[in-house]
Amino acid sequence: MTQGMTRREFVKKGMTMVAVGWTAPSFITRTALAMSNPWDVAQVTSRPGIPEDRILVVVQMGGGNDGLNTVVPFTNDAYYRARPTLAVPQKDVLRITDDLAFHPGLAPLKELYDKGAMAVVQGVGYPNPSRSHFKSMEIWHTADPEGRIVRYGWIGRYFDSKCPVCEQPTVGVNVGPAMPLAMQAESGMGVSLENPEAFQWIAGLDGIGAQEEQELFRLLNAPAPNEPGTIDFLRHTAMNAYVSSEQVRGAVRAYKGGIEYPNTQFAASLRLIAQMIAGRLTTKVYYAHMTGFDTHAAQRGVHENLLGQLAGGVAAFYRDLEAQGNAERVLVLAFSEFGRRVAENGSGGTDHGTAAPMFVFGKGLRGGLYGQQPSLTDLADGDLKHGIDFRSVYATVLDRWLGADPQKILGSGFERVGFI
Amino acid sequence: MAAASLRRFRPSAADPWDRVKAAHLLNRAGFGGAPEEIARLASLPVEAAVEELLNFEGVPESFPAIDFSALHEMYEELLRARRDRADEAALRRVVQQINRANIVKFQELRAAWMRRMIETRRPLQEKMTLFWHGHLVSGLPETRVAEHMAIQLELFRRLAAGNFKELILAISRDPAMLSYLDNNSNRKGKPNENYARELLELFTMGIGNYTEQDVKEAARAFTGWTFFANTFVFRRDQHDDGTKTFLGRTGNWDGTDIIDIIFEQPATARFLPRKLWEFFAYQSPEESLVQDLAEVFRRSRWEIKPLLRTILLSEGFFSQQAIRSKIKSPVELVVGAVRQTGAQIPDEVLVRATDLMGQRLLYPPNVGGWPQGRGWVNTATVLLRYNFSGLLLNGTMPGALRRRTVPAGVDHLIDAARVRTTGDVIDQLVDRFIQGRLDGRRRWGLLRAFGTNREDAPWRLDGARSQEQLRSAVHLIMSMPEYQLN
Repeated sequence: MTQGMTRREFVKKGMTMVAVGWTAPSFITRTALAMSNPWDVAQVTSRPGIPEDRILVVVQMGGGNDGLNTVVPFTNDAYYRARPTLAVPQKDVLRITDDLAFHPGLAPLKELYDKGAMAVVQGVGYPNPSRSHFKSMEIWHTADPEGRIVRYGWIGRYFDSKCPVCEQPTVGVNVGPAMPLAMQAESGMGVSLENPEAFQWIAGLDGIGAQEEQELFRLLNAPAPNEPGTIDFLRHTAMNAYVSSEQVRGAVRAYKGGIEYPNTQFAASLRLIAQMIAGRLTTKVYYAHMTGFDTHAAQRGVHENLLGQLAGGVAAFYRDLEAQGNAERVLVLAFSEFGRRVAENGSGGTDHGTAAPMFVFGKGLRGGLYGQQPSLTDLADGDLKHGIDFRSVYATVLDRWLGADPQKILGSGFERVGFI
Repeated sequence: MAAASLRRFRPSAADPWDRVKAAHLLNRAGFGGAPEEIARLASLPVEAAVEELLNFEGVPESFPAIDFSALHEMYEELLRARRDRADEAALRRVVQQINRANIVKFQELRAAWMRRMIETRRPLQEKMTLFWHGHLVSGLPETRVAEHMAIQLELFRRLAAGNFKELILAISRDPAMLSYLDNNSNRKGKPNENYARELLELFTMGIGNYTEQDVKEAARAFTGWTFFANTFVFRRDQHDDGTKTFLGRTGNWDGTDIIDIIFEQPATARFLPRKLWEFFAYQSPEESLVQDLAEVFRRSRWEIKPLLRTILLSEGFFSQQAIRSKIKSPVELVVGAVRQTGAQIPDEVLVRATDLMGQRLLYPPNVGGWPQGRGWVNTATVLLRYNFSGLLLNGTMPGALRRRTVPAGVDHLIDAARVRTTGDVIDQLVDRFIQGRLDGRRRWGLLRAFGTNREDAPWRLDGARSQEQLRSAVHLIMSMPEYQLN
């Protein structure tokens, strides 16, 4: 080790060595570029006709949303027979066609639907459905119902497919406590955060000083070759966090606000996403979470409240994007791991089921109803039969919204759905 | 023929029982400890060290129970008000009062558990209690009665290393669980499948070992299993006593029979041992090893303690595949840091810190419990874990505590009399915090915190500058990937 270097020389030299010899992640330098001109990197690859700055927001409704009480077949006797206490009364529903209607809790979304800014894809599922939360959620995240061993998520595989800005950690931003499998990528890209203020490493706790500590932090966390996988994973995660911290907090600071959001955790997540979009963070996919849809008992009030949270949050988010002038750039895709059993149980709730509707929101889509409402009498094991494979919805979004090749990510054979 | 990794660990000159292994044992079978504690364990033969941890029943321990008497009075008041047909508004007032009191008690219970994990003289009992909380999952918001969770934690402590079948029967009758998975409203004619499904999928057998029809039949068998106040009640009038066919066996089964049949399945013998191995040793164990563990488990008629003994004394447990290979859970990180340093931080603040890092005690993310391993770490939580050192050093942590409390001294973290060079002080810090080796580059980085790049540069603990250097070094060590591992 060279002796007699000054501290500053050491740090400078040390960092150069990090950058050259110690496998400095290339995203650090790219990120620095991107920070001065956010969409420069995006110019590298693109598909004609698809704007580069489009964004996808995925909303996960965890627990298994009761599709039948969300989009209600209000003229169907079989529905009312199967659900003597839980069915939404005809007089309360918000009609969208002669025989389908929204739950009254979705009033704010009915407005979006009427404007053509919402698509409902009915009867979405997959073959041989699993009724396990964990297995089914994994299937939706990996887009792999056959259980070939797929280690990464469908969005992560999109990041790995060299999309524009895919070499920055902030290509995917999850707002929530744990990084979803859907976003896990071989390249390790994607960041997770909940509170932008806490999204920074605090240096200089009355020690040798913040600047020196920052420099040593980078030295101690820089990835090195041939380290065990877990340490390598920790170093990459730490460096991803470190290089994204200022970007994310800077973007959030630029937000002017002015749109009122409901006082729910879900709405707060969407508001944070709106802040990052307003701050022109170079992110392609955001991820937000709702939980609590596992309504085995006393479903009525709980489900109404959840649908209200969903609708209130999405409607405020949409207003915000319109005010920012970003509504055309953003598509929101909402899913749940399964729907629920057609017949209610004895607890005023419903047990795990199968097919259910998915929801898509955005100014740039063709609103309306897609697919067929599954039959309530031709059932498989008491459960609805799906008409549209969820991978067709993913393929549509990848192909027509993000301009990626879905065949590489999902495999072939998934027809597009007409909402884009 | 046992797989190599389950064979009894025999220390040798090449592979000694030393402080690194003693620290590993205490980290995994407990929550780590200060260097003196590790040194004491290392001075015992490895079998004695493991037996001391395993046979915790004989170690005296007393922590004050939480007082729920005020809540009992409120519940009685509610019963009275209902009986007297009190008006809506009066009833609502009592219910709101009860809800508020429960929230306070939940916080008290969380803080008391945190304190207990820090101070316990039975670390393995508390570690297993934490394991059971993440395996047989209940909690807020579905379980709203704080006392039910206190009762469940006591069950987990009582059977921490007891009989698994007995624990499964007890948890099936546990009020917190009955309300968490809705079995309290599982009635004849229209069964609720929630408990039956998770009993099979998550608690005993694992997915793929039963059919959807088995779930439905098991749900019927558990109809009428409910509770009143704090006690299990079997309601015969709500129980379906028709014939059920479960896992190929037909009869008029009730929940107890279902559990009997579950414990006849080969999958059940493998399921828990695999999870315990992953909790204590390493991820994705070899199938032959799981098979051997299953054999130990089956032979002992589902006793946990012999299983733990086999794991903790095995070659595999003390192998390089296991040592310092696991990412600490937030509770392990926080409790471990307090035990390593003796820092004085209010329990509620420590609870808040683990909440932020993604492990909210008594508030699990879902019935599957917390994700393990890499699931603990993402860009947000890695920064929170690093910033946690702020609580120890100057009493602040973004998101947890802004106002400074007690700026902690750091002198006691090193034995100043034994320090002559910068290398010495780093050796002591690494011994306390990491208990492993640091590679040359990282060690060099720590030298720089002491203003040198030489191991043999003289260093003494005197004056403000040396204090600052020491604080920075601790801050940096706790902001390293190496510190995140057990």
